[in-house]
Amino acid sequence: MVIERFIAAARENACSVHGPFSLDAATAVVVEIAGRHAGEIALTVDDPVLDQLGLDAALGATADRVLTPEQADWTTRLPTAAVGITGSLLAVAATGTVVLGTNAGAPRATSLLPPVHICVIDAATVVAEFADAIARLDAGVLPSALTWVGGPSRTSDLEMRPTLGIHGPKTVELVLVQPDAPVASPS
Amino acid sequence: MTHGLVTPGRTLKERATRAVADAELQRALHNLDVRLFTARDVEDNHRALKDKAAAIRRETLADLDGWLDKLEATLVSLGVTVHRCATPDDARRVVLDLARREGVHRVVKSKSMATEEIDLSDALEANGMESIETDLGEYIVQLAGERPSHIITPVIHKTLPQIADVLSREAGAPLAVDREVLTEWTREKLREKFVAADMGITGANFVAADTGTIVVVTNEGNGRFCTSLPRIHVCVMPIEKVVPRFADLATLLPLLTMSATGQRLSNYVSMVTGPRRPDEVDGPEHLHVIFLDHNRRDLVGTRYESMLACIRCGACLNVCPVYRKIGGHAYDSVYSGPMGKVLTPLLSAGADGRDLPGASSLCGACAEACPVQIPLADLLVRLREDLRSPGPVVAGVPSVAAKRTRPRVRRLGFGTWAAAWASPAGYRASMGAARLGRRILGRDGWAHRAPGLRGWTAGRDLPLPAARSFRDRWDARREGDDQW
Repeated sequence: MVIERFIAAARENACSVHGPFSLDAATAVVVEIAGRHAGEIALTVDDPVLDQLGLDAALGATADRVLTPEQADWTTRLPTAAVGITGSLLAVAATGTVVLGTNAGAPRATSLLPPVHICVIDAATVVAEFADAIARLDAGVLPSALTWVGGPSRTSDLEMRPTLGIHGPKTVELVLVQPDAPVASPS
Repeated sequence: MTHGLVTPGRTLKERATRAVADAELQRALHNLDVRLFTARDVEDNHRALKDKAAAIRRETLADLDGWLDKLEATLVSLGVTVHRCATPDDARRVVLDLARREGVHRVVKSKSMATEEIDLSDALEANGMESIETDLGEYIVQLAGERPSHIITPVIHKTLPQIADVLSREAGAPLAVDREVLTEWTREKLREKFVAADMGITGANFVAADTGTIVVVTNEGNGRFCTSLPRIHVCVMPIEKVVPRFADLATLLPLLTMSATGQRLSNYVSMVTGPRRPDEVDGPEHLHVIFLDHNRRDLVGTRYESMLACIRCGACLNVCPVYRKIGGHAYDSVYSGPMGKVLTPLLSAGADGRDLPGASSLCGACAEACPVQIPLADLLVRLREDLRSPGPVVAGVPSVAAKRTRPRVRRLGFGTWAAAWASPAGYRASMGAARLGRRILGRDGWAHRAPGLRGWTAGRDLPLPAARSFRDRWDARREGDDQW
């Protein structure tokens, strides 16, 4: 129920939403979406969801295109990367928002500089209300940066009509993962 | 707080008159209509949230110093440098010294009314640094050499063709009057600036005392850039932005975004808790937070204290019949609309904006729209009273001097009026006099011109009393005469 609500709200926010999928199907979808874009792929590492997907290996065929924070030239290459792939801490059904936390393997800019952001969400981390997410975060240790993403960058400064893509990602692709999902078929 | 840049005209009245006559401005201001529904929706659906939010704000202000001490301790424990600044001058000096010491060449700014209040961009530019506003609206306003005319939608005063003109001048080539084209051009232009900036400056929507978390809300994502890429992040935080607990964000944040733009949550919310940690590859190495006072602490405990509860959502501007007609620049102040009319004289201790509280119909739409229940209409009336006497507003102390300096003629007039209406006979006599006025001034029930009331009748007709008063008709009805 909460998943359906999240999907509807995120689509209202102009996100593309895929799934929920089993692990294997999710991996295939992420690789397929990333493959649509020419250019480098910035990848978050040491993320519990992404590690389950085994994206390192799955993107292996294009390993020279994959950029991770451990690489020495991460900072200089990231500004021209085409795709950023991240996991997420939480998602909020009521607002269609995903919450990203920063750490050594998950820099802030992976979801900021590339024009396409692919975000993988563990369906078990979707909560109903904004207040639920705040309560969960408050119970743990806060990362140095928490970013709540409600969709592609947007502005209403031009005569109050919404226009997408002013600063951050122009496209946000959300991939939901539910390890025990029945049979996965890309929607 | 005043600056010579904005709208010509010495008095509010002169500036408002020009604004009303500006056809392009009037066209642009109509775009604000969509926000009227926002206010109504908040009122209908978020009553409980409003009560809770108002309670949190009251709790904060009841011990503002205590919460600030707690916040400072938390921030310091996170490795943040805190600067307490009493005046805009102090705040500017802190930022300039820091920028010089750190060899800063380029500053990127996220939209912040606090930095407008202290004129920070101009100060940086005057000292040889490049300071770039990165919110699209603010960027346009900066390029045009103007100031924001609305605290949420800074360029609401310009139409799309006017905006295209401003950006085309910067581009050195004509850009199409097309949202996509203008957005894409600005994206590319500002991207270069972000990547090469040494310092990011933001305001704060809220800062939580228990966790030291700075909350910056945007839709564009420029706030994320300013807090992620430059090696130094400076947050200018007016002291009333402190909230006791991180958990309070559950109430305040949705209410802010709903009241500001009608969104359940803004597109991007950045929550910054300290500078980058040792193993991280991006984020600011140094984080500085400026506690800006600027006469705010003086308001605590006075009859204007509730103004410090303001969360800068802009809802009161959107519903104000005066703001919607004259726009923000006519106020000639950083803060415009109802909240600006109250805040400007208070922050300047009566030096600026003394005529602003008069620019209100006292319809109360602002107070009704306010998500944290600030009695804006009441505050405006109190300010009108306190500002009658020259000198600083003595916050919280009803101005006794004001009564004494009221002109004698006016005192006599109000005294006579009060005495007349204190008795039924006097009231009846005054109605007779009013009906006599009706016969002299206009037979169609409206006065088009009236001696002594030209201030009103120059722009409007004055409704006159009915030929037969309600009392007369009531008496007649009781006597069996049904002629209404």
